[in-house]
Amino acid sequence: MSDLVLRGRAWVYPDNVAIDGDLMALEWALKRETRPEVLKEHVFAGLDPDFPRRARPGDIVVGGRRFAQGNAHIQGMIGLKGCGVGLVAESIPIGSFRNALAAGLPVLPRCPGVRAMFANGEAIEVDFATARVRNLDRGTEAGFPPLAPHLVEMLRAGGWGPMFRRRLDAMNAA
Amino acid sequence: MTGGQTIAEKILSRICGRRVVAGEIVMPEAELVTVHDWYTVNAFRTLEEYGVTRLHDPARVLLVTDHEPLAVSPQAFARQQAVRGIAQRFGVQHRDSGRGGLGHVFPIEEGIVVPGMFVLAYDPHVTNYGAIGALGVAVLTEIPEVLACGSVWLQVPETLRVDLTGRMPFGVFARDAAQKLIASHDAALFEDAVVEFGGPGLAALSLDARQTLCNTPVELGAVSSVVEPDARCLQEVRARAQRPMHAALPDIDARYRARVALDLSALAPQVALPPTPDNVVDVTEVAGKPIQHAFVGSCASGMIEDLRVAAAVLRGRQVAPGVRFIVTPATQNVAAQAAAEGLIETFLRAGGMVTAPGCGVCAGGRIGGVAPGESSIGTGTRNEPGRLGAHEAVLHIAGPATVAASAVTGVITDPRPFLRDAGWSMAA
Repeated sequence: MSDLVLRGRAWVYPDNVAIDGDLMALEWALKRETRPEVLKEHVFAGLDPDFPRRARPGDIVVGGRRFAQGNAHIQGMIGLKGCGVGLVAESIPIGSFRNALAAGLPVLPRCPGVRAMFANGEAIEVDFATARVRNLDRGTEAGFPPLAPHLVEMLRAGGWGPMFRRRLDAMNAA
Repeated sequence: MTGGQTIAEKILSRICGRRVVAGEIVMPEAELVTVHDWYTVNAFRTLEEYGVTRLHDPARVLLVTDHEPLAVSPQAFARQQAVRGIAQRFGVQHRDSGRGGLGHVFPIEEGIVVPGMFVLAYDPHVTNYGAIGALGVAVLTEIPEVLACGSVWLQVPETLRVDLTGRMPFGVFARDAAQKLIASHDAALFEDAVVEFGGPGLAALSLDARQTLCNTPVELGAVSSVVEPDARCLQEVRARAQRPMHAALPDIDARYRARVALDLSALAPQVALPPTPDNVVDVTEVAGKPIQHAFVGSCASGMIEDLRVAAAVLRGRQVAPGVRFIVTPATQNVAAQAAAEGLIETFLRAGGMVTAPGCGVCAGGRIGGVAPGESSIGTGTRNEPGRLGAHEAVLHIAGPATVAASAVTGVITDPRPFLRDAGWSMAA
């Protein structure tokens, strides 16, 4: 088991969850709000408004196909990061995947079949470094394509900002 | 690794200095980085927060003012001033208002972008560069890293091959083909892929038409689009190329995610209904629906050919009472050419308005937008609620001929009878 493990309850969502509207109201993107402590209160406002109140750190959002599709605004991903949760999905479009990583949100974007592994609220454990997903209630487990080492490093660092800082420091030292 | 390569794989292999294949994570150095309008202010504010005072290579950076070239608010005046200051401070080229126009288009006209080039940009429609066989990819949050370090991580994308066959029938244009393409397949086919156009139908398509084709797939989640740089393309761009060309063609055994055909001869004029560009029907299915707002322009359809066909429909006619008709030439060059050909006069005498070259109404409805309850037909890139102003407006997308015909009648209109009447010839 790696250092990038989350354990909690599964929040299962359907295919085609939209970035704007379902995951977060567009107004936060237009306001260019980027504070996790603000955005975490508004996650899933359009789809599941109770989420921010009921989700606990360590919980995992289990998305379907094309999770966070649409115009790739980062605010929804920052909000999820603010909630302390992780994200696995059948598929996530590249723009949203980039944003999730940039926000430092533990994420696995290519987990075909993962949604069928869980009912809402079941106990879930995800190792984001090795891409292993377990249903602790059913005792089932599945492995998915792991993230490239550079991207795991980015999660470990806490997202794009810390990685960028590290790269600048290395450049300045050279 | 065996098997051939797609155009995107070849371009990224050249940049990386080794053979790369779809799925790999790479750090390719951009040969050009474009940043637009107020995004410039945000990106450089981030650089300031990180203490960056020098760019990786200022000569590779191009700042453009196209989303709001004619500033109309005190906030916009200040933003433009800030961009000018940034350009000066960091020693980068800035194509300011009146000095280029739409940044996805004038670099093609001027040979700043050439076949085989790799470009990163802070704007999704950089995919236009694919029209001449260059690979343009949008990066948002991480664009400061590209500016400071020259590169950012990229997953080598899979490629969807689109083989064009046949020839567009009378009254059908590239925009109709582009809309039909994205409407004919599941979005999953396009998602995260580069769409590579080729096939026997390509030769008849102008570079303007190819830009339109490359502009649209990004709406369904494609990473980029690229057209095979054929003889027609190379002949046109060679004379103006400002740097060596590295035209790349796909290998005969290139590995594609999928291969689909688009029969250009089977198309009719298309109209996209709200709320997305792929919600497309034949114009005959929506003909007669009233509109109050019509727009020709944007990086999808603001090229000289688009203006020519719109003017052909409008020549000797009047925009219908109760309709506002707005034309935005994509670039200064397009505007000057349109003036030389008398197209601008046609628009103005018909009761239309011509705005400063750039994105026009399509850039979020900052100018010439729509009010609640209004209905619009335009050639912009997207039609989600609020794109052109009020959320409660109804937005349609169509080609320039359909938009112009609709402006004349005040209802959504099949342009073919108008074009026949005008003696329009489809010779490209």
